[in-house]
Amino acid sequence: MAYSSEKTQEKRRGFLDPRTKLALVLVLALFVMGGLGGDMLKPVKTGLSALPFLLLLIERQWKRFARGIVMLAVGYGLLFIMPYLPGALNYIALLCGGILTRFVVTIVMGEYLISTTSVSEFISAMERLHMPQAITIPMSVMFRLFPTIGAEWKSIRRAMGMRGIYLSGTKAGQVLEYQMVPMITSSVRIGEELSASALTRGLGAPVKRTNICRIGCRVQDGLLLFLCLAVIAIWILELCGVTLW
Amino acid sequence: MVELKNVSFRYGNEETQVDNENCLRDVSLSVKTGEFVLLTGPSGCGKTTILRLINGLIPQFYPGEVIGDILIDGEETKDKELYDTALKVGTVFQNPRTQFYNVDTTGELAFGCENRGLSEKEIYTRIDKTVAHFHMEKLMDRSIFHLSDGEKQKIACASVDVSDPDIILLDEPSANLDYDATLLLREMIVQWKAAGKTIIAAEHRIAYLWDIIDRAVIMRDGRIVRELVGSEKDGLTPDELYSMGLRTTMTESPSDIQKDTFRKEDTPITLKKFRFSYRGKKQPIVNIPLLQLAEGEITAIVGANGAGKTSLLNCLCGLEKHCKGKLQYKGKNYGRKARRKLCFMVMQDTGNQLFTESVLDEVLISLPKNTVHEKEKALELLQSLDLSDYTDRHPQSLSGGQKQRLAIACALASGRKILLLDEPTSGLDYAHMQETSALLQKLRDMGTTILVVTHDSELIHACCGRSISL
Amino acid sequence: MKNENKLKGRDLINIGIYGAIYFVILFAVAMLGMIPIFLPLLSVLVPIVGGIPFMLFLTKVKKPGMIFITAMIMGILMLLTGMGPWPLLTCAIAGILAELCVGSGKYKSAKKAVLSYGLFSMWIFGNYLPLFTDYEGYFAQRADYGQAYIDAVQKLMPLWMAPVLLAACFICGILGGLLGRALLKKHFEKAGLA
Repeated sequence: MAYSSEKTQEKRRGFLDPRTKLALVLVLALFVMGGLGGDMLKPVKTGLSALPFLLLLIERQWKRFARGIVMLAVGYGLLFIMPYLPGALNYIALLCGGILTRFVVTIVMGEYLISTTSVSEFISAMERLHMPQAITIPMSVMFRLFPTIGAEWKSIRRAMGMRGIYLSGTKAGQVLEYQMVPMITSSVRIGEELSASALTRGLGAPVKRTNICRIGCRVQDGLLLFLCLAVIAIWILELCGVTLW
Repeated sequence: MVELKNVSFRYGNEETQVDNENCLRDVSLSVKTGEFVLLTGPSGCGKTTILRLINGLIPQFYPGEVIGDILIDGEETKDKELYDTALKVGTVFQNPRTQFYNVDTTGELAFGCENRGLSEKEIYTRIDKTVAHFHMEKLMDRSIFHLSDGEKQKIACASVDVSDPDIILLDEPSANLDYDATLLLREMIVQWKAAGKTIIAAEHRIAYLWDIIDRAVIMRDGRIVRELVGSEKDGLTPDELYSMGLRTTMTESPSDIQKDTFRKEDTPITLKKFRFSYRGKKQPIVNIPLLQLAEGEITAIVGANGAGKTSLLNCLCGLEKHCKGKLQYKGKNYGRKARRKLCFMVMQDTGNQLFTESVLDEVLISLPKNTVHEKEKALELLQSLDLSDYTDRHPQSLSGGQKQRLAIACALASGRKILLLDEPTSGLDYAHMQETSALLQKLRDMGTTILVVTHDSELIHACCGRSISL
Repeated sequence: MKNENKLKGRDLINIGIYGAIYFVILFAVAMLGMIPIFLPLLSVLVPIVGGIPFMLFLTKVKKPGMIFITAMIMGILMLLTGMGPWPLLTCAIAGILAELCVGSGKYKSAKKAVLSYGLFSMWIFGNYLPLFTDYEGYFAQRADYGQAYIDAVQKLMPLWMAPVLLAACFICGILGGLLGRALLKKHFEKAGLA
């Protein structure tokens, strides 16, 4: 059968719309990490905290799921053993535990967003949120360059090994220089060639850009967005002094 | 129809340094609709500059002083915005790794049309048409980071095809391609020609295009020195070509060149159990149970894009931790770490292996500690590699060939016995290729064993005494 | 009529290129920060190392808006990686300040460039903000860990740490800017990049 780009795009569509993921990250950041809301939201927050882990499972991101759980467990473990530790260790355990338990959930959510959203999906979502080209163009260039910069970094490290330049305590500054200068030089050169090629294909034209990437709200998005709104509603009710439970 | 009327150009403005290379001096050229013109000539002759003037990158992206008119279908392009010129002109660039804006192949194909704001439906139809036309179903919906250079270049061509411009410019598109990928590229160009596109290509490797072009324009020092059509073009002798600084017009696959890998009288360097696979891949990319190489010879390593040539070099240099192979040199066994002091690789991105602020420093840090008269030694080395005029230059400001020579100087300074080169002549003209070949022979005569990964048949003929096909 | 001050495709791509290098550095340092005791190091290492690409970036900045956009993108990326909306706020403020500073030097002055990078670096403080905002509320929630916990955390993350971290961002930004200028002269200008 002949190839159909439209059908393939539809098939490759993500489980959630990137905008839903964005809303979830925001709500988690505000309520779980930022600590908005009082007693009434407490059970809600516990439920919210489980959400990123659930989503990772749905999308079969086993490794990320395991890593998140381990980090969370370490955090709570530290808080649990903290009272039994002497002096300075006590503080360190406490601080690490406190920060981990607080930040991990939202960071896992962020990781979920990043790992399950393709660059084109993300840019498409940004465009539909009416972000100006002044934001979407640099961001798409960045996403395109991240892997390249990583590869350059690796290639430079190898070259240093071959030239016999190793990281040793005394020369840390020099090693940083040796690493950074070629990395920046080659990244900038690659970036220049990339711009030339993009501009000859009409990037930056003053027309409304199309995006063939398929995104859009479906049932699962609706449910989760409703959940986000519900959390905010409960918070507002609480602020107004209404007690629900 | 593309016309250049008495065009002169110089890069940079009064504030920045004036670069006399790549400039144009009073060039007039007219390309008819549907014509296929090849621009060729030694490096720095200005052929890429002409393409940049046509696609508008000059002066919109690369600033400089343009005198004369550049007309596309009678309209001046100089003052047009790049996105307006993009409607008529599409360009395929030299480096397949740097011309993608998207991270997936389908997005890359759609890119030009998305920027124009065509409807989704229209874009899908166009993509499907191009995909069917060039038989590239297998390349769709893939990450561009998992494609070979040949596949990337195919996507780059397809991306231009989806935008469907009247004029297609090719800027050394074959520089990084192996023989088979070059033939595929040729196929695509043939289809464009049949569809009536105006095609202008700038190339050093002219062989794969020679019989399908309508006209060859030969340039030197920013001027057009000769134009060849029909029988004139076909009747050129190799000597005539070389005198104009051109490469051969004969296509020949590097793997068809018959050379021994090892002869009885050779002193062996033995590779044992070299095996390496990428993480998560079962199929090993390098798998050499036993191989004998000739010490003190220049051996070519040939094979298709993705056959593991570069990986083999990495393993030989001891850069792959998971490759447990052993190398026997002069009766001694070298493990991974020991090989790091024995072998040196001149990488494709030579800039990534140069770190200091001057050419001289670069060699100085390579000399073993406690060398006496280290500066004299370094200068002597630079002299022998024709770099003495550049001792104070920043390594990153050197040309590709100079960077290569500097890397070789570092290898020699640190006393390496085996030199590995990864595609040293990609994108080089005839004269520079000859220079590289002469340098390699000189190093061989000094006792260095050289392995060179290459797609360049001319280089193999010029200097390689042995060859391995992977 | 063409507006010379309007950002064109090439300017936007430049923001992307240098923003990507800066963010990779940030990310590499933040990996250290995953071990929480290194968290305060973020405000020292990121401004210093990030100064190297940023000073080169500033040589490409000739129009208003580019620094502000870079700052906002950092804020958006922080939001995406789960650091919350607070960095967006500090990014906006730091971005505008840095922009005004470079603008007052007509995009040419080297001193203003260094100072501007110091101001820009203050956005990093946004990552610490949740540790200080709603200070009381946060501990009220954590009361189940007991009074000992609250006392201990207050000792380690006392409120006075907030201005200290902010100042660290700024000062290290200045240092990073100077380092960036030095490498610019030593390498990038000679290499033909600046």
